[in-house]
Amino acid sequence: MTSAIPTQGASGKTRDRDSLVRFASRNGIYLFLVALFAVCGAISPAFLRLDNLGNLLSQFAPLAIVVIGQSFVILVRGLDLSVASVMATAAVAATSFSGRDQDAVPVLALGLVIGAATGLLNGFLVTKRQVSPFLATLATMIVLQGVRFAWTHGAPSGSVPPIFRTLGAGSVDGIPYNIFALLAVAAVAIVLLHKATFGRQVYITGGNPLTARLVGIPSDRVTIICYVISGVLAAFAGLILSGFVGVVDNWVGKGFELNSIVAAVIGGVALSGGRGTLPGALAGAAILVTVFNAVLLFGLPVQFQIIIQGLVIIVATAFYARQSA
Amino acid sequence: MTDMALPSRDRARLRRMAASNAGLLVVLSLLVLMLLIGAVVSDRFRTFGNVANVFEQSTGLALVSLGQTLAVLTGGIDLAVGSLISLIICLTAGLLDGDGTYMIPVLAGMLALGAAIGLVNGLGVVYLRIHPLIVTLGMGAVLQGVTLLYALGPVGSVPDGFDALAYGTFGPLPAAAVVTVLLYVATALLLRSSRFGRYIYAVGDDGNAAKLIGLPRTQVILFVYAFSGFFAAVTAIYLVARFGSGQPYAGANYTLASITPVVVGGTMLSGGRGGVMGTLFGAYLVSLLNNLLNFLDVSTYVQLMFQGLIIILAVSLYVEKRKSIA
Repeated sequence: MTSAIPTQGASGKTRDRDSLVRFASRNGIYLFLVALFAVCGAISPAFLRLDNLGNLLSQFAPLAIVVIGQSFVILVRGLDLSVASVMATAAVAATSFSGRDQDAVPVLALGLVIGAATGLLNGFLVTKRQVSPFLATLATMIVLQGVRFAWTHGAPSGSVPPIFRTLGAGSVDGIPYNIFALLAVAAVAIVLLHKATFGRQVYITGGNPLTARLVGIPSDRVTIICYVISGVLAAFAGLILSGFVGVVDNWVGKGFELNSIVAAVIGGVALSGGRGTLPGALAGAAILVTVFNAVLLFGLPVQFQIIIQGLVIIVATAFYARQSA
Repeated sequence: MTDMALPSRDRARLRRMAASNAGLLVVLSLLVLMLLIGAVVSDRFRTFGNVANVFEQSTGLALVSLGQTLAVLTGGIDLAVGSLISLIICLTAGLLDGDGTYMIPVLAGMLALGAAIGLVNGLGVVYLRIHPLIVTLGMGAVLQGVTLLYALGPVGSVPDGFDALAYGTFGPLPAAAVVTVLLYVATALLLRSSRFGRYIYAVGDDGNAAKLIGLPRTQVILFVYAFSGFFAAVTAIYLVARFGSGQPYAGANYTLASITPVVVGGTMLSGGRGGVMGTLFGAYLVSLLNNLLNFLDVSTYVQLMFQGLIIILAVSLYVEKRKSIA
């Protein structure tokens, strides 16, 4: 280092290369998404057809909404395994009362209350009883599952108000309506997390609990709010998804608990807390949905979808683990 | 925080003693409570045949939870066990296909495969420095996919007499359940008395400290995941002897189910505290609960709910030290 002082030009070039590398590693996730689209389009022209892209978007929206909530929880060193169960329970309970449009507001409210209550319970167990997030949300997942099956006797009988059907499955000029729901949710969430004081409290609580306590951040309250956000968004996504499917069954949202965690992690939200952004997490969700879509489009057996899901999660986390080391 | 405020050393010691045995105490009192309730509400419940039945039905869960306990003791978790069980159930039934000629090599190969896959999990945890939750979750997905590539529906069958592995008896007692108890006792002795057993606790309590004072952290982690994989394979062989053929989702429920006995038995997910005997009683508790609810004519849906409530009840009784996400 000391013996060879580089010339002006060389140091400039290294700096250029450094900043390029830094740009690539900081925006790697978005570059990867673009590359993935290009590759998929090159392999199968059907991938870039408008109807497939619309299809992609409408599958993306419910997952992305859940991922936003999941990211809040992961940022405070948590984990929410109950999201899929919340989705199904909210959908089953809310739609069993009324399938009419004029009752859409109470139906929506009931669903969201179920989500909020579950989030509150999760947050309470995690902060006040210091139960590990994994266990607390696992337990609420199982309890909700039991409640749901006991309530419906295994065969839910409700119907979805037509307005949810439109919101979940309708589209204008090929752009599905549920994307607008996602955009609204994402805009609020991004402002809340990246512009508001609450967002900074979330990062400090997750990044360094000791600092959080020393500077007087109400960590417990922040954590509980994050779980409530996750519960409410999961319930909302459950209602949209049941509108997309058209019928309510006991397993609306099956697999979303793992997929939402995978998407957030691919998008750079660290499970150790305090690191990652919502746009990153949304890109992670887009990558996951694209991969699933491509597997089917390329005519690979659906089993590969599961295998790829497993490999992607390991490779992506390993990538971030190296970066942070 | 409250620990610091404690005035006397004796109280601290008492607290520590209660804390280190809290798991066993809680799970044993729950077991006794449930036996009493059962004996009061149903005549058939208190027959020897029924108790033996509960004992026997706990076997599969107890076997897989034994491996899970060690992974959890190091502060990790093994979420690949369910898919691994499915894979080995299918492979065993498919490879044997009703013919007992190659039974020994096939079974030995399956046990080795289970341990090897567990070892790969351990390698991921150590060398990729990824959280065990993620490594084993990813591995679980890969294994489930591979299982489905091998068999989309019921596959293979076991040779005649193979079901003795599951249904054989020692006198009046189910043999597999008795062997399971022996395996638990052996593991408990290993944990308590061997140097390596103490290392497992040390790594779980504080992995970095363990490494700094020169304990073989890497070997410990590799061992516990291989151990967990091995016992997932043992569980799979027991289950395929019960079922008689392979099913690609036969093990799916065991992933999360295997964690219930561990935490109900007082092993902390944050690692370093607990033990295998609590897990064994935890498995009996789950089996007994299901049996009792059956006698009370409670639907399987509500049984599910009770399992969740038992987890919440048990884990809220112990306050964990907060350390990691799992």
